Amino acid sequence: MIGSLIFIFIISLGVLPGFSKGADLLIKNGIILTVTKGTLPKGDILILGGIIKQIGENIQAPQGVKVIDASGKYVVPGIIDSHTHIALTGTNESGAAITSEVDMREVLNAEDPSIYNALTGGATMVHTMHGSANPIGGQNITLKLKWGKTSEDMIVPEALRTLKFALGENAKQANMPSLTAARRYPMSRMGVNAIIRRELLKAKNYMQQWDRYLEAKKSKKPPKNLIPPRKDLRMEALAELLRGKMVARCHGYRADEILEFVKLSKELGFKIACFEHASEAFKIAKELAAEGIGISVFLDSWAYKVEASEGIAYNAAYCAQKGILVSINSDGGERMRHLFNDAAKAMKYGGLSEEEALKLITINPAIQLGVDKIVGSLEVGKHGDVAIFNEHPLSAYTRCEMTIIEGETYFDRAQYLKEREEMEKRLKDQKKKGEI
Amino acid sequence: MKIQKNLFFVFLIAALLVQVPTSKADVGPTYAIINCKIVPVTSPAIEKGVIIIRNGLIESLGPKEKVAIPEDAEIIEAEGLIAYPGLISAHTSLFLEPPKEEPPTPMIVPTETQEVKKGMNSDLFAFKLLKPKKSTIESYQRIGVTTVLVAPERGIFAGQSVLLNLNGEKAEAMIIKNPVALHINFATERQAYPSSLMGTMALLKQSFLDADYYSLCQAQFAKAPNGIKRLEYDPFLEALLPYAKEKKPIIFTCNNLEDIKRALRLIDKFKLNALLSGANEAWRVADILKKTKIPLLVTLNFKPPFTSIYINQGEELKEKAEKEIYPANTSNLYKEGIKFALTSYGLTEASSILKNIQSAVKAGLPKEEAIKALTINPAQFLGVNQILGSLEPGKIANVILTSGEVFEEKTQVEKVFVDGILFKIEKPPKEAKPSALNIAGSWKATISGPMGEMEMTVEIEQEGNEIRGFISSSFGKWEIRDGVLSGNDLSFTLAATIMGETMEMNFSGKAEKDTIEGTIAFAGGKAELRATRVPKGTN
Repeated sequence: MIGSLIFIFIISLGVLPGFSKGADLLIKNGIILTVTKGTLPKGDILILGGIIKQIGENIQAPQGVKVIDASGKYVVPGIIDSHTHIALTGTNESGAAITSEVDMREVLNAEDPSIYNALTGGATMVHTMHGSANPIGGQNITLKLKWGKTSEDMIVPEALRTLKFALGENAKQANMPSLTAARRYPMSRMGVNAIIRRELLKAKNYMQQWDRYLEAKKSKKPPKNLIPPRKDLRMEALAELLRGKMVARCHGYRADEILEFVKLSKELGFKIACFEHASEAFKIAKELAAEGIGISVFLDSWAYKVEASEGIAYNAAYCAQKGILVSINSDGGERMRHLFNDAAKAMKYGGLSEEEALKLITINPAIQLGVDKIVGSLEVGKHGDVAIFNEHPLSAYTRCEMTIIEGETYFDRAQYLKEREEMEKRLKDQKKKGEI
Repeated sequence: MKIQKNLFFVFLIAALLVQVPTSKADVGPTYAIINCKIVPVTSPAIEKGVIIIRNGLIESLGPKEKVAIPEDAEIIEAEGLIAYPGLISAHTSLFLEPPKEEPPTPMIVPTETQEVKKGMNSDLFAFKLLKPKKSTIESYQRIGVTTVLVAPERGIFAGQSVLLNLNGEKAEAMIIKNPVALHINFATERQAYPSSLMGTMALLKQSFLDADYYSLCQAQFAKAPNGIKRLEYDPFLEALLPYAKEKKPIIFTCNNLEDIKRALRLIDKFKLNALLSGANEAWRVADILKKTKIPLLVTLNFKPPFTSIYINQGEELKEKAEKEIYPANTSNLYKEGIKFALTSYGLTEASSILKNIQSAVKAGLPKEEAIKALTINPAQFLGVNQILGSLEPGKIANVILTSGEVFEEKTQVEKVFVDGILFKIEKPPKEAKPSALNIAGSWKATISGPMGEMEMTVEIEQEGNEIRGFISSSFGKWEIRDGVLSGNDLSFTLAATIMGETMEMNFSGKAEKDTIEGTIAFAGGKAELRATRVPKGTN
């Protein structure tokens, strides 16, 4: 029943092909939390062509621009989820331990209802990833949650290219006991480390082969039987990582394996953008801060696995205070709907300020994804990605009322409830007439 | 007992060796079909015309006054009937006896990253797996289908398809073109690589890159082998080369709109000559398809895919999707001016094919377009339009004579010509009564023939009227196939394998709650089978 009510709203948006040039919108009289440039107790935001053109008081609406009255409501940057698996047909390529050749861009699913659910929680952008079943997984992708548009329209071209790594229990399949099947290598933490080193060394070798070939081809007298090396997509992806064209996003829990992986990255020469989950990050906060590596964590969720048993709720706040770039993620579709609740918990557990807590779900993940120039805060020149809440987003009573991406409204709670009411009435009438 | 068993064994072997003499292909009679309406498809309809069939081909056709009837022609009176070209289903998986499935090997990956790749059947030829079945042929002829493309189903590289005329049960005589195309599915494997769709995409890309590399190395080696280490022979790549390098046609089966986009990306990247099959969400990406002008083999199986936005928003919308939105796929394509063929891919019963054609027409596809989509369009897409797809002199004599306009509820197909061979269409066999009797379980059976007795155990599975299972004996496990239980009448085919040779035996008899009795017939003789149920709890 409810499902069909959702459908009315969704179908009204349509599954329209074509790209969006960005819309025009004026949000008036809201309490604007810019996150990076302070708070306007009563202000307006003018978005033209999907870009924020003006933030201030008493902005006049140009001809034909739609106006939203946000009186008494809180206007915040659209929430960014730095680690999830929604909008994809498939999560893990578990047929092999090293699968850098797979690209999540090939399996986008713009029809995943989780996209719409995320909008209801004020989320506008996600970094959706390969799973953690493999020491080296696949290439991830950053999307804007433009529900109703094509999958290509959702891709954020400005985002960093990232490669998924995983350490610990998932990568060594500790929680998939099988009495019959022979197990896959690696089955230990040292194996995980060793296989990653081995594959990256293979990639270095691959790059050298190609360099030699290209040099020989360019030379004045190229050898008679010059054939290029075989192009190997798995090695190509690792080569991109080693060349700095991609960064590593590494799933890991324990302090020891995280430090080992940092050592590995320095030995082989690739950049780690962020550790995922990192329950024990607080133990090595100094080292992580010195390396400039971020973390993307849950707030008050731990001990669901042996390797997460030493997690603490203060992890996020403590690490943030030590200078680490911290983001809070959902790792799925459910938590994504209330990341603002999790951010608020960082005020209780660790004493972050309101602004610092909001950063965990806005500008910090934006920096981690390399898109801080276009999203993550409300500033002139950035994209018009906005969420409007009825209470302060960090209040336990808050609800997201509207979610706007590049000036277009993708979620409107009042509209949705109205249409649900109309649908209910229609169904009741049909029942009365005996049509159903 | 031992001597009896050996005699029985010998008896069975002897039966296997009995040769059934095959008849040579005869030159059939010359036919003159007279007084019918003719719908050639590629030219205007003829109200009252004549078609002359000679030597399996259409010799001539035209208005009654204009066509002379040869003296040696057998007259087929077709007053009140309409003649259409035999219908073509450009993607099916009929008659395929899939190769023995290996049980999934547990992944054994010691230290080297050498994944167990599966689904790479580029060198699997459909025509090698054909077992034409009379009842299937008849059911397709009954709805006017005379030509089918048969493609292997499983795997990412599923194999190479064959185009068949439904003219009998001898595979060789049925083949019109072989191979037709390489079929690729966006499928995944289990307990092997690739087990995910993104893995499959990586595998597809890597395979085409490897085909390039393989051909480059081969060319170098062929030019001047001295000094070059030869590349290891790869049967998978050898079979892929004609499609990757010589641009022979590849057919991608697309189950949703993202599959269509995935296929188009591959086609563009590797400059492939391709067609899209399935394409049940084609209307949702009509703008892209219009630009590429890629041939579409659109399935009549209008099921919404599991990814569809229309089926996870409640029962009401799901029903609407199944009954209205997806059946309107083809009429939407027609409105966009996109050319397509219709196929029965995914539909197993011939009756549901006709039903779905009717619902496509009801949803707005003009009848003439549906006819074209089942005749000249698939013929053109598959490159056989010089010999199939319409009623024209010189083309193969695939003609169907219908009692009324084709696809109408009351219309019956009365006569079918395939390769100029006349088939009379009979009423469909009586629907098997749903059986109240359940014979699933374990049974102990004795087969007694002229040469003695043999004991065996029988395991039966039952689903409605369908019976499946195995008979186990000292010879091994024999599969029970095509079993039907109608009331108390039980029939099935037994695939008996002895020393590597498989022989089919047909059982027919009566079943009760705890007993089965009947006759098993095989080439060269028959035997009695009696079985009693093994009560539960005993070994």
